[in-house]
Amino acid sequence: MKTRRIYNRISVLREERGISRKELADEIGVNFQTVGYLERGEYNPSLDLAFKISEFFKLPVELVFSTTPLKPLSQEILEQRNKMRG
Amino acid sequence: MSKSNRRIGVIINYACVLLSLVFFYFGKYNGWTDMMTVVTILVLVSALVSFVVLHIKTHLWRLVHTRADKLDERQIQVTHESLRYAYGIFSVISLLVLLVIALLAGENDSMLILIFASLLYLAHTLPSSIIAWTEKEV
Repeated sequence: MKTRRIYNRISVLREERGISRKELADEIGVNFQTVGYLERGEYNPSLDLAFKISEFFKLPVELVFSTTPLKPLSQEILEQRNKMRG
Repeated sequence: MSKSNRRIGVIINYACVLLSLVFFYFGKYNGWTDMMTVVTILVLVSALVSFVVLHIKTHLWRLVHTRADKLDERQIQVTHESLRYAYGIFSVISLLVLLVIALLAGENDSMLILIFASLLYLAHTLPSSIIAWTEKEV
């Protein structure tokens, strides 16, 4: 079965919080190499793992994962703010 | 270890195993010379070293021999995929070896061809039989 690529912000969020791949891997219950695969977009996580990662970063799942390439978070926040202002 | 180095390791390891089989075959039917004994020992040592470097040092042996509940979802996917290919390749090689033995035996042992046919049937129907046995809906 051919699957779509799932884009994510895991590496940005991880570096922003100053945690290593090993620490993140231990928190979400996977091997540290799997975090590398996820960050490089070489492995699409299951729904359960995607929720675990989003819950760890305390962010909605759609802010961490997307089926289209993700914009920088700062740009997304700016666009959200502009949208709210009308 | 890089992917290309691992692939070279796989080729060297299987080549050494195959070569040692060939040497043992010739040794059995043509007699052992000192030179052949030395070369066979060297090939066996190479097989052992390449096995350790390729399977043990890379932790691949542990990965494919660990229970599924101790692995994460990506590791399970990788090992299941490798087992699927391994099952297919092993079945084809085993059946080909058995077919050659059965054909060489000819009428001396006609049971061998029946065993070959039964195993060929089993290899093709076993995966769907397991699904039939375990799944609620298909």
